[in-house]
Amino acid sequence: MGDTVVEPAPLKPTSEPTPGPAGNNGGSLLSVITEGVGELSVIDPEVAQKACQEVLEKVKLLHGGVAISGRGSPLELVNGDGVDSEIRCLDDPPAQIREEEDEMGATVASSTAKGARRQRQNNSAKQSWLLRLFESKLFDISMAISYLYNSKEPGVQAYIGNRLFCFRDEDVDFYLPQLLNMYIHMDEDVGDAIKPYIVHRCRQSINFSLQCALLLGAYSSDMHISTQRHSRGTKLRKLILSDELKPAHRKRELPSLSPAPDTGLSPSKRTHQRSKSDATASISLSSNLKRTASNPKVENEDEELSSSTESIDNSFSSPIRLAPEREFIKSLMAIGKRLATLPTKEQKTQRLISELSLLNHKLPARVWLPTAGFDHHVVRVPHTQAVVLNSKDKAPYLIYVEVLECENFDTTSVPARIPENRIRSTRSVENLPECGITHEQRAGSFSTVPNYDNDDEAWSVDDIGELQVELPEVHTNSCDNISQFSVDSITSQESKEPVFIAAGDIRRRLSEQLAHTPTAFKRDPEDPSAVALKEPWQEKVRRIREGSPYGHLPNWRLLSVIVKCGDDLRQELLAFQVLKQLQSIWEQERVPLWIKPYKILVISADSGMIEPVVNAVSIHQVKKQSQLSLLDYFLQEHGSYTTEAFLSAQRNFVQSCAGYCLVCYLLQVKDRHNGNILLDAEGHIIHIDFGFILSSSPRNLGFETSAFKLTTEFVDVMGGLDGDMFNYYKMLMLQGLIAARKHMDKVVQIVEIMQQGSQLPCFHGSSTIRNLKERFHMSMTEEQLQLLVEQMVDGSMRSITTKLYDGFQYLTNGIM
Amino acid sequence: MAQVEKRGGLLRKSSASKKPLKEKVVLMYDEIFMTEDPSKCSPRFWEELFLMKVNLEYLEGKLESLDGEELMKIKDNINCLFQHCIQALGEDHPIRVVNALQTLCALIRGVHQKNKSTSGFDIINMLMGFDKAELCMKNLMESLDSLLCAEGSESLKSLCLKLLLCLVTVTDNISQNTILEYVMINSIFEAILQILSHPPSRREHGYDAVVLLALLVNYRKYESVNPYIVKLSIVDDEATLNGMGLVIAQALSEYNRQYKDKEEEHQSGFFSALTNMVGSMFIADAHEKISVQTNEAILLALYEAVHLNRNFITVLAQSHPEMGLVTTPVSPAPTTPATPLGTTPPSSDDEHRLHSGKLCLIILTCIAEDQYANAFLHDDNMNFRVNLHRMPMRHRKKAADKNLPCRPLVCAVLDLMVEFIVTHMMKEFPMDLYVRCIQVVHKLLCYQKKCRVRLHYTWRELWSALINLLKFLMSNETVLLAKHNIFTLALMIVNLFNMFITYGDTFLPTPSSYDELYYEIIRMHQSFDNLYSMVLRLSTNAGQWKEAASKVTHALVNIRAIINHFNPKIESYAAVNHISQLSEEQVLEVVRANYDTLTLKLQDGLDQYERYSEQHKEAAFFKELVRSISTNVRRNLAFHTLSQEVLLKEFSTIS
Repeated sequence: MGDTVVEPAPLKPTSEPTPGPAGNNGGSLLSVITEGVGELSVIDPEVAQKACQEVLEKVKLLHGGVAISGRGSPLELVNGDGVDSEIRCLDDPPAQIREEEDEMGATVASSTAKGARRQRQNNSAKQSWLLRLFESKLFDISMAISYLYNSKEPGVQAYIGNRLFCFRDEDVDFYLPQLLNMYIHMDEDVGDAIKPYIVHRCRQSINFSLQCALLLGAYSSDMHISTQRHSRGTKLRKLILSDELKPAHRKRELPSLSPAPDTGLSPSKRTHQRSKSDATASISLSSNLKRTASNPKVENEDEELSSSTESIDNSFSSPIRLAPEREFIKSLMAIGKRLATLPTKEQKTQRLISELSLLNHKLPARVWLPTAGFDHHVVRVPHTQAVVLNSKDKAPYLIYVEVLECENFDTTSVPARIPENRIRSTRSVENLPECGITHEQRAGSFSTVPNYDNDDEAWSVDDIGELQVELPEVHTNSCDNISQFSVDSITSQESKEPVFIAAGDIRRRLSEQLAHTPTAFKRDPEDPSAVALKEPWQEKVRRIREGSPYGHLPNWRLLSVIVKCGDDLRQELLAFQVLKQLQSIWEQERVPLWIKPYKILVISADSGMIEPVVNAVSIHQVKKQSQLSLLDYFLQEHGSYTTEAFLSAQRNFVQSCAGYCLVCYLLQVKDRHNGNILLDAEGHIIHIDFGFILSSSPRNLGFETSAFKLTTEFVDVMGGLDGDMFNYYKMLMLQGLIAARKHMDKVVQIVEIMQQGSQLPCFHGSSTIRNLKERFHMSMTEEQLQLLVEQMVDGSMRSITTKLYDGFQYLTNGIM
Repeated sequence: MAQVEKRGGLLRKSSASKKPLKEKVVLMYDEIFMTEDPSKCSPRFWEELFLMKVNLEYLEGKLESLDGEELMKIKDNINCLFQHCIQALGEDHPIRVVNALQTLCALIRGVHQKNKSTSGFDIINMLMGFDKAELCMKNLMESLDSLLCAEGSESLKSLCLKLLLCLVTVTDNISQNTILEYVMINSIFEAILQILSHPPSRREHGYDAVVLLALLVNYRKYESVNPYIVKLSIVDDEATLNGMGLVIAQALSEYNRQYKDKEEEHQSGFFSALTNMVGSMFIADAHEKISVQTNEAILLALYEAVHLNRNFITVLAQSHPEMGLVTTPVSPAPTTPATPLGTTPPSSDDEHRLHSGKLCLIILTCIAEDQYANAFLHDDNMNFRVNLHRMPMRHRKKAADKNLPCRPLVCAVLDLMVEFIVTHMMKEFPMDLYVRCIQVVHKLLCYQKKCRVRLHYTWRELWSALINLLKFLMSNETVLLAKHNIFTLALMIVNLFNMFITYGDTFLPTPSSYDELYYEIIRMHQSFDNLYSMVLRLSTNAGQWKEAASKVTHALVNIRAIINHFNPKIESYAAVNHISQLSEEQVLEVVRANYDTLTLKLQDGLDQYERYSEQHKEAAFFKELVRSISTNVRRNLAFHTLSQEVLLKEFSTIS
C-alpha cells in the first residue's frame, strides 16, 4: 500500500534529526526511525512520544473528536484527508466490519461499544500521538503485533484489531501463530480485538480456517484440561470447525485472484470471473443485507440471487468444507501411527506404500496441502515414491503429492478421477521409446509431450470430463508391443545380408552408457530416503509426471511433504518464523547470508507436516554413501578447485554456513549432528530439526557448549583457516549479527509472544527472553562485536564438545 | 457337520429298531414323491413346507434312489416344488428363504446325481418343465441377485452363493451344464462385483464369489459368447478389482502358510525357506480358512483376471496388497514335485501339482508380456524380500536365507525360474513347463532390452542353470527324444545366450557382467561343443529332427565364435606365462584384451516372441482344469451347505 508518494504531514516532525524532507516512501521513513532507535538502543514508545508531543497537540485539535467515534471511522476520516494510498485498503474493511458486527451478534457489538467508551475516557494526548503513529505509513504489521501485545489499553487493542484489516493477508498470515496465541492466552480485550479479523479471514479462505483451527487446538493444549474446554480458543475452534463460517460472499475474492477475462475464452471460464465492478456491487449488496445476513436462509437466497446463472456456485452452499481435508489429514496421521508399530524400516516402507495406494482410491478429492503456496486440489499420491525417513522410534515419512493448480480452491470443482490404467496407452507411445535415451535427450523430447499447453489459458474445470474421454483417442495410434519390440530385428531381416557386429563395440557401449549415468546413491534398506532425496527434483518431477495419469494436464504440479506423527512441531514453527524474520532482515540490509526456512504445519501438539527441502541430503548420508570427506565430495560433485561450479558451490557453502551459525547462536540450536544438517545440490547447508532451541538441550548432558557447529571439515571446504573464504565467512557473520541487532525487536517479539501460556521446553525457566536479548549484544560497539565473532569461531573450532557430540551420536544413533 | 452326523446316526439307530420315527418334513417329502398333488388335500402344504427345517440327506437320498423313469412320473410335483422354492425366495421371512435355498440345492444335486447319463435338457424338464423353465430361471436369478445385493443377512448371502456354486458345479464338464444357459441370460455378474467391492461382504463371501466367477467365465468359453467373459474384460472399477485381488492374494498366502506348516512338520530340523511375503505386508483383513487343495480354483481366478482384464494388472501393480499376488502364484510352482531323476515316478497327486505349476507359469507368462506389470516388476522403488522355497538337494548346501536382499520383484521371478530349472531335471521330464519357464525369462529380457532396465541381478546363476539344463538334455538324449522335441528347448536356451551376447549392452548392469558372460561360456565350452556336435550329427542325417536340429546349429554360431576366438588366446596366455590352470581373473583379463578382434553375427528375431494365446493352444488344458476344479468345489460344498445350525440360530433371534 505504500507505492504512492505521500508525505503525511503530521509525521514530519518525527524525522527532525534528518535534514530535509522525510524520504520518498514509507520504507525510508521506517529506516530513519529504526536507525534512530538503534542509537537509543531500545525502542521506547515513551521517548518517541516526547519527541512528537508538541506537534501532536495540533493534531489532537483536528482529530480528537474522531477517535471517539469508534471503530472504522477514524480510518475513513484519514481517507477523507486525501491519502489515496490508503484508499485501496479502506475499500473493504468498513463494509466488512459492519457485516461482522452484525454476524458476531451482541457480544462483539457490546465489547466494541465498551472499547469505544474506554477510548473516550482515555482520550488523552498519549492517545492521539499513538493514533498518529498508527495512521502513519511506517506502521507495519510487526509494530501492530507489538502494540497489540504490549499495550494495556483496550482502545488501542480494539483499534489495532481493526487495523489488521488494512494489512496484506500474507503479512498478517506470518503472525498468525502470535495472533492466535494472544487470542488464547491473553485477556479478553485482546481476544475481542483479534476475533473479528480472524472470523473475517476464515470466511474468505478455507485454508486460513484450517490453519486457525489447527493452531488454536495446538496452542490450547498446554492449558489445563478443565479450563481448556471452556476457553475462548476452544470455542473459536469449534466455531470454525462447525463450518458456520462458510463464505458469505465469496465472489468478492475472485477478481483479485484472476486476471481480467480474455475475449476468446469458453463461456464456462467467463462465469468464474468477475470484474471489479461486480465485486463492488456485491459488497454494497452485502451491506444492504446486513440486517438479515445472520439468517442462513436469507443468506442462501442472496447467494442464489447473485449467482443464478452459475450452477457451479451451488457448491458454495455445500455443508462440507473442512471435513474432507480433516479426513485426509487424519488418514495421513493414522498411517504414521500404524507405521510406528512396525519394527524394521523395510516393513515400514512396504506398509507405507500399501497404505498410500489405498488412500489413492479416494483421490482426487476436495483436499489440499496446506504447506503449498497456491490453490490446488490433490489428485494422486504416487505411492511407490514415498519413503520412510530416518528416525529411531517414530515413523516420519515423506510423500510426494500430485496436485492440479486451480484459480480458487472453493470455486473450482474437484478434478475428475482418471483411472490409473489410462497411463498405459500413453506409456506405450511416449515413454517406451524414450527409455533408452539419455537424460538430455529426454529433457528435449519431453517438451513435446504436453499437448495441452496451448489450452493453458482456456483451461477450466468443465474440460476435465471431456479430456478424460478424449484421452484414449489421442493415443489410439499406439503401436502394439510386438512391433515395437522387433524394430531392429525386422530391419536386419529385410536386408537379408548377414549383419556383423564387433564384440568390442558392444562392450564399449555398455561401459560408456554406464559412465553417463549421474552419481546416484546406492539403495540402502536401512536408509531408504537417501536415494529418494538425492535424485534431482526436476528429474523426479519429470519421472513422476510421466508415470501419472494426470501428468499431461498443464496445471499438474508435484509437491512433497513430510508427515510427522508423534512430534510436536510448535517449536519448529517458532524456529521457522525466526528464520524467516532473519532472512528478511538480512535481505533488507543486503547482507548475503543464506538460510532456508522450511514451512511447518502444526496439526496438533504432537503431529504436523513439514515442507521438505528439495535437492538436499543430510551430511550423514553424504558421508556414508560417498565414503569421502566433505571437501572431496564437493570436488566430486562440482569439479576441481578452480572450476566455476566448485567456486560457486563453495561460496554458497560459506554464505549458508555463516547464516546458520548465527541462527544456531541466536536461537541456541542444539543437537547439531550430521544427520540434522543437509547439503543441497548447490552447496548450501541447511539445518533441520529445531527440537532443541533456546532453553532446552538434549538430555541436559552439557554437551555442545560451543556457540555453533564448525568442524574442521567445514573449514576445509571453505578453503582452510587462512583462506579468503574463511575471512569472508567471518565477515558475513559480523555483518549478519549487526543487521540482526538492528532489528532485534522484530525477532524477539516473535518468541516472546509465543511464550504466553506455553509449556514448550524451549521456554523452560524464566530467563529465556532475557538471554535471547543478551545474545544480540545491543551495548557492544562494532569492534567489540567483531571480537565476539572471532571468539565464537575460535571457540567452536577448538571445541572438543562438538567432536565429542559427533562421537556420541555415532555411538548411540550410528550417525557419522 | 458333526450335528448332522449325529442326527444321521440317530435316524439309523431308530430305523434299525422297529418303526422309524419320521419328522414332519420327511412325511411331507414323501407326499411330494407321490404322484398326486400334495396341495390337493392340504391347501397350505407349500406354505407349511418352507417353515419346516430341511432334511437334506433325506431329500437328496430319496431323489437319488429313484431312477429316471420313476422320477418322470413325479415330474409335476418336482416342478411344483421348484417353483414354490423360487416363490419362497421372495418372501420376507428369512426362515422360508433359507429353507427354500437349501431345498433348491438338494433338488438340483439330487436330480443330477441320478441322471448323469441324461442330457441337460432332460434335467431342465425334470426340474422346471420346458414351458416354464425360462420364466422360472429368470425369477430364480432375479431373486438371488436381489438377495446378494440387499443389505440382508450375511449367512443368507452365503447360502445364495453356495446355491450358485452348486448349480455351476453339478456337472463335471461345466460346458455341458445346460441350465447355465439361463445364468448367462440372467447375469448375476453385477452382484458378484458388488460383493467384491464392499469390504465387509468381500471378507465374508469373497472367496466363493471369486471361484464362482472363475467358473462362470469358463462356461462354453471357446464355443459361444459368454457374457461373463465380456463383462469381466471391461471392468475398470478399481475398488472391485482391488477387492478381487485381495481375495486371491489372501487365499494364496493362506496356501503358502499351510504349505510351510506342513513342510516344517515333516522335516523338522530342516530349515524351511518358504515364507509368504504376503503376510507381512497385508493390511489386516479377516482371516478365512481355505483348504490346501482348493488353490487351483483361486489360481484359475487369478489367471482369468490377469488374462481377460487389462485393468487388473494395473490394480495388481498399483495397489500394494496385491503385490504379493504376483509372487504368490510363484511360490506354489516350486512346490511341484521336484523328484530328482532316478527316484519314484510322479504319482497322480503330482500330476495335479503339475497342473498348478503349469497354470502358475501361464500366469507369469501373461504378466511378463504386460507392459504395466513389467514396469512394476522392475520398479526400483518397490523392493521386496521374497523367500522362495528351495528344494533340498544333494549337491547344494542350504544357504541361510535369513539375509535375503530386498530387491525389485522381478529378481524373485528370475530366482524362481532358475530354481525351477535346476530342480526339475528328472526322468519324467516336464518339457512343457520348461518351455514356459524359458519363455518367461525371455519375455522379461525383451522388456529389459526395450526399456534399458539394468537390473542388478546375478545373471551368472541363470547362465549356469541354463548350461546345466543343456547338459541334462544331451546326456538323456535318447530317453528324452522318444517323447519330446528337445531341440525347441535347446534353441530357446541358446537364443537366451544370444540375447545376452548381442544385446548385453542394453540391459546388463556392469561392463564386468558382460565379461563374466564370456567367462562362463568359455568355462563351459565343452557343453556347447557337445551340443554342437549332437545337433550337427542330427541335422546331417535325414532323420526326423533334421530341421529342428539345424536351427540350433545356426543359433550356435556366435557362441562358437566366442569359444574359437578366446580359447587359443587363453592357451597361449597360459603358455607364455607358464601357468597350467588360469584363475578366473586371468581369464577375464584375456577376455577384456581380445574383444576387438572378435566379430559376431547379428541374429534375427532374438527379441521377438509369440504372444500368449489361450484358445489355440491351451483349450484342452483349461477344460481339464475346470473339470477338476468343479469336482473339487462340489465335494467341498457337500459339507458346507448342510450346516444350517448357524442360520437357524441367527433367524430365530430375528423372528
